Amino acid sequence: MEFGFTEEQEKLRKEIHEFFKTELPSDYGEAPVRQGADLEQWAQAFQTKAVARGYPSAGWPKKYGGLGFTSMEQAIVSEEMTAWGVAWPGSMGYNLVAPVIMAVGTEEQKERFVPPIARGEVFCFEAYTEPNAGSDEANIQLKAVKDGEYYLLNGQKTFISGARKPDWLFTLARTADTIPKHRGISLFMVGGSAPGISYRPLPTMSDSRQNEIFYDNVRVQKSDLIGEENRGFYAAMATFEFERASVGLDARRALRRLVDFCRREKKNGKRLIDDPEVRKMLAYMAMHEQAQWLVGWYSAWRRSQRQKLGPQPYDLSMFLRKDWLPHSSNALMNLFDMYGQLEYDSELAKYDGVIGRRWESSRIIHPAGTPEILKVVIANRGLGLPRIPRKFNATIAESLEQE
Amino acid sequence: MDFSLSEEQEKMKTAARDLLEKECTESVIRATIRREEGYSPEIWRRIAELGWLGKAFPEKYGGTGGNLIDLAVLFEEMGRAMYQSPFLSTAVLCGMTILNAGSEAKKDEYLPKIIKGDLKMALAVTEPQAVWDGKGWEPEGINLTARASGGNYVLNGVKAFVHDAHIADYLLVAARTRKVKNAAGGITLFLVEAKSRGISCTKLRTISGNNKQCEVKFEGVTVPASNILGGVNGGWAPLDKSIKTGVVLLCAEMVGAGQKVLEMTVDYAKTRIQFDMPIGLNQYVQEHCVRSLALVDTSRYITYQAAWLLSQDKDCDLEIAIAKAWTGEGNERINWYAHQVLAGVGSTEALGSLPIFSRFGNVSQFYLGSPEHYISKITDELEYIPAPERPVGPPIGLWDPQRHDLPSWDIWRDWFVKNS
Repeated sequence: MEFGFTEEQEKLRKEIHEFFKTELPSDYGEAPVRQGADLEQWAQAFQTKAVARGYPSAGWPKKYGGLGFTSMEQAIVSEEMTAWGVAWPGSMGYNLVAPVIMAVGTEEQKERFVPPIARGEVFCFEAYTEPNAGSDEANIQLKAVKDGEYYLLNGQKTFISGARKPDWLFTLARTADTIPKHRGISLFMVGGSAPGISYRPLPTMSDSRQNEIFYDNVRVQKSDLIGEENRGFYAAMATFEFERASVGLDARRALRRLVDFCRREKKNGKRLIDDPEVRKMLAYMAMHEQAQWLVGWYSAWRRSQRQKLGPQPYDLSMFLRKDWLPHSSNALMNLFDMYGQLEYDSELAKYDGVIGRRWESSRIIHPAGTPEILKVVIANRGLGLPRIPRKFNATIAESLEQE
Repeated sequence: MDFSLSEEQEKMKTAARDLLEKECTESVIRATIRREEGYSPEIWRRIAELGWLGKAFPEKYGGTGGNLIDLAVLFEEMGRAMYQSPFLSTAVLCGMTILNAGSEAKKDEYLPKIIKGDLKMALAVTEPQAVWDGKGWEPEGINLTARASGGNYVLNGVKAFVHDAHIADYLLVAARTRKVKNAAGGITLFLVEAKSRGISCTKLRTISGNNKQCEVKFEGVTVPASNILGGVNGGWAPLDKSIKTGVVLLCAEMVGAGQKVLEMTVDYAKTRIQFDMPIGLNQYVQEHCVRSLALVDTSRYITYQAAWLLSQDKDCDLEIAIAKAWTGEGNERINWYAHQVLAGVGSTEALGSLPIFSRFGNVSQFYLGSPEHYISKITDELEYIPAPERPVGPPIGLWDPQRHDLPSWDIWRDWFVKNS
């Protein structure tokens, strides 16, 4: 049992820390973007600098342009990124798409897709979810029908995260009508501007940008099928593991900012941090932050032990984060009373309108699994609690109609 | 970061579990609770022989010089087995105080006997009014007086909720030797023979089942000045350190108990059939199990992190406070979820051991400081946490300094539409 870091890890952390500290502008992210400002250009340029250091693809094998970082070292990169509030525009490609292609793609696909993703030159969307296939991922209905050297794709995706037009859509499509359903799904790289592809932005409650994507007789080359036909679901499940496990210091950064605010601000002539209710709230925030941080590191460490200990039976990090979210966002709202709802550009806004934004974001609870699904997965796979085999679901649904 | 135990620690853990599983069956534990001593001297002798008590002390006194992690592993196993004993009181709360604040002579006199299991001790800190006022574990709450008289001190006052006083050979008493604004600066620790004239010890009747908490009255109790540990008015620092060590080990004990209760809950969910199906199919039941799992795992990591920091002599008041508040509250919740799942079976003394875990859990929740006490300590520590660091690169004016946070989605949408 050890809760410190090795000299090498500290050295690595310091390197990354200094990079962000000196490369990020001193006015970084402390305000909404000015009207007309080209944030994208700056973000692109910054990502290029980080790419030169190798940070976005740090976890990839060296032969594909990565740094070959272990999961512990990747966690350190992730910590420093979140500590400074940095997110790569191309993160979907780095963390989900390229690793899957490296795992199950052909050599030709690896050569074609991976280097541009590594260089941050292309952007990918993870196009899995459909109107009838959210938690029930295997229920996807977007069809991919073989037609000579091509597949013809027809259908619709929804709630797809991404704020700019992608170069590639990492698409789950049904190639066979199987029972069970998940055995008939395949993964395709579909061009983001291919004929037949159209987008409709889905405004959400927060700034998180989601989209509907329509596939209308989209032609996809056979060479863009990733992995074996009808084995796409398993590859996609592996990406969920990436999504759900995370080490981050964003909670700590938010806590420190809040504590600092409470030290400086007063209510009734008294510092907020001297108010018993506020003290209690801050203490609970600190406890939950500590618990989440440790669980995140446990997962990172557990991944590093995969050879010896096998796959991790369950991961608590995303569940803990989402479970705490309504409590913390409500606690903040309580602290700010009616001020909490004010937009950032209102004259009366306090704490720069963050509270309202955070409240809105906290409602976006579904990406990478709703808390309910996360609990079911932990209960079934982690604790071995029983569940009704899916093959009976249709019969059960019928019996419900009869009642 | 390493969440595994060493090979040696794994061996020790397995051996401890095997022993306790054999010795501490439910009926043994129930019988033990009913004994006047409230613990089993036979099992106590066994663990002393195996060197468990010695893990807290250097080899020089007959110990094995194990570190705090080793002790935490043992306490986890003892918690799992519902094993109650004077271990914490004797070896940790009192023994470590002697180790850290006693003279060499005192260490030579007492530590080897403690390690062999020949001596039992009890720490007497909390006083009735102070506990009620929420200051039981604070310097301000220590007001039992110690008045100098010749080469002795005379003690007057009352201590309550003292664990193991009724079987102790010695009491380590926190007393006030002077009234001073900084209350901690007037506390002196006395090693007092438990059978001294003027001491009366009454066992408190509680629902907690551990049958070893006492009220101890001191009426003109004479103690030689040579029995002072840490010097006159120098008692708070070593006491505070011992309490913190005790807190971490008490948390480890709760982690072990919580793990066992979780296993009982999941087991019951899988095997109890109602409506022709295991009740574990029900997602309400599953939720209780998942929450218990989250509480056990997080409690374990938080506790072991505090143990590691303390064993490295690093400043960890925040982590220790988090450990006790989180684990104390968490353990109570785990027991509560178990009661919901085990229902009738869970609350019937004759049908299982959950009632025992539940009762013991109530003790651990409040002993050495309640969750509320530590929640206040957490915020005391947060006062000194720095604000987030700012980058130092040249500003580029893309962000409006009058406002803050993320860009509105309108800007992204405009960009997107423009570039479609």
